Amino acid sequence: MQVFRLEKKRLMPFLRKVMRSYELVAPVKTDLVRFEKIKNPKSICFEKPYFPVKGFFFKKHQVLFEFDGSRVKIPANNEPERVFFGLKKCDLNAIIRQDKVFLEDAEDPYYKASREKSFLLGFHCDEACSEYCFCGSMELVDFYDLMFYDKGNHFLVEEGSEKGRFLISKFKEFFKPVPRKITQEEKEIKGTDRLKKNSITHLYDHPGWQKDVENCFSCGACTALCPTCYCFEIHDEVKSSCLSKGCRKRCWSSCQLQSFTRVAGDHVFREKREERFKHRIFHQLGYFKEKYGMNLCVGCGRCIEGCPTRIDFIKTINEMEDEQRE
Amino acid sequence: MNKENNNLTEENPYVPKPYKVTDFYRETSDTFTITIDMKVKHDPGQFVQVTLPGIGEAPVSICSDSDKYIKLNIREVGNVTRALAKLKKGDTLLIRGPYGNGYPMEVLKGNNLLIIGGGCGVAPLKGVIDYVENHRDDYQEVQLVLGYRSPDDIIFKRELAEWKNKYNLQVTVDKNPQSKFCYDAKVGFVTEYLKEAHLSNENKVVFICGPPIMMKFVIDILKEKGFNDDQIFISAERLMYCGIGVCCHCMIHGKFTCLDGPVFRYDEVKDFKND
Repeated sequence: MQVFRLEKKRLMPFLRKVMRSYELVAPVKTDLVRFEKIKNPKSICFEKPYFPVKGFFFKKHQVLFEFDGSRVKIPANNEPERVFFGLKKCDLNAIIRQDKVFLEDAEDPYYKASREKSFLLGFHCDEACSEYCFCGSMELVDFYDLMFYDKGNHFLVEEGSEKGRFLISKFKEFFKPVPRKITQEEKEIKGTDRLKKNSITHLYDHPGWQKDVENCFSCGACTALCPTCYCFEIHDEVKSSCLSKGCRKRCWSSCQLQSFTRVAGDHVFREKREERFKHRIFHQLGYFKEKYGMNLCVGCGRCIEGCPTRIDFIKTINEMEDEQRE
Repeated sequence: MNKENNNLTEENPYVPKPYKVTDFYRETSDTFTITIDMKVKHDPGQFVQVTLPGIGEAPVSICSDSDKYIKLNIREVGNVTRALAKLKKGDTLLIRGPYGNGYPMEVLKGNNLLIIGGGCGVAPLKGVIDYVENHRDDYQEVQLVLGYRSPDDIIFKRELAEWKNKYNLQVTVDKNPQSKFCYDAKVGFVTEYLKEAHLSNENKVVFICGPPIMMKFVIDILKEKGFNDDQIFISAERLMYCGIGVCCHCMIHGKFTCLDGPVFRYDEVKDFKND
């Protein structure tokens, strides 16, 4: 793929120019680092975002349609064209996974509407962003429209798609082609291979899970912070002034909540915390791979960092693996 | 760039369409059957998502086999189903579907059928029975074993009278304190009847639909009687929200009940735990 050089001092002018044509979204540090619509590119923070980017495509609250009695009105698609800047390799690979679920399988029109109008500009990490990262164990792939590599006084920018090529040509005054490739070594993220084995199907009944299960509150922070977790529920909201009018909404949910598998008659299928705890881990590192050939987990470690008791299931899996090998 | 049509209205899988209720029939004190003018091709065992705007959406299995209408047998257990009970002939409701994998009737041609239902689980099986009725020559002997809690809980009373004449029908009731008439029902669980019954597994497939605990014990008995796992079809119960294999509520061991099920061949799911 073609590589370009962007001088560091030209980054802000480039982003400002991008903002004239597109909505720019990038990590910003407020209380925590999160992806936000950028008003001033100087506010962009290059640390690892605490929150994932998924909410821009798979919205936390999405109105599916409005109703008035049995008349249904589908909302207009007002998604702007967005340029996302500062996506880490884990964030980008998470988008591949959600694309599989929402575009390949279900053709979800809401996800599609925002996803189609997005440009994904990655920012390469040279080393683990935090002690929780394990992306190096997750067989991540190259996936981006443009990828930025920090080279001191300049960036090297690698094209990854047609969309990327389009952006480069649209903003060509900033980019100078360089006759070189980005090497595999440059693409590596050091210190991120702490999960020893990413297949865990043989560990389902292992007693080693117990201590993690005991520390889990089933709060669902892990699933909310996960860049790939995609479960949701659907409910109706009515206007208090007119009960026949309202909307149907889809909202993020969590398989960690007891109510998640409740059916009519109040039977709960995954009633035990242990069953729910393992369901998430096994969906992330097992079931999804059986169906799509890749793990759902991208190794960003946000679920560990955001867990109120810092449950490090990677450590637990490694311990179980070591024990089995002995 | 991105000139593709982003219109949310085209083939939006979340948006139901309006249909009319053409008949409402009360089966028992807490169940009813509605007929809806939805003309759609479907397999027995498939389900639809029924919406009452403002109340919500509920998955309901289709209990008929016709390309002119669908019938839904509904038990009043939640907000949506309790509200549906107030429907009258001529009312409008919103439906999307049908969804899921039903009973593979085409593949099972030429077999003897043993159909075992418990309570509300008889509803999707009625779809199978109606299908068999419409394709009677394709199947051999049909045996029905249907269990209910009490004579007052029997659904499809009108149909039972017909089935009694056409098929080998056995009704059971868990208890019958007033000794009410109910199609020569035996008092006791379905499992007790099956244990005693002489059942040959030859050239036979079994469809089971009912409470999870009943299905488990029925399968145990069938295994004792020599049935193989791949002769048994079960219908899994989960609450489906999206119906299209996304929302994950109905996931069992990575399989979606709404997409891969609700009907599963037993050998495909028997090793699944509560995961």
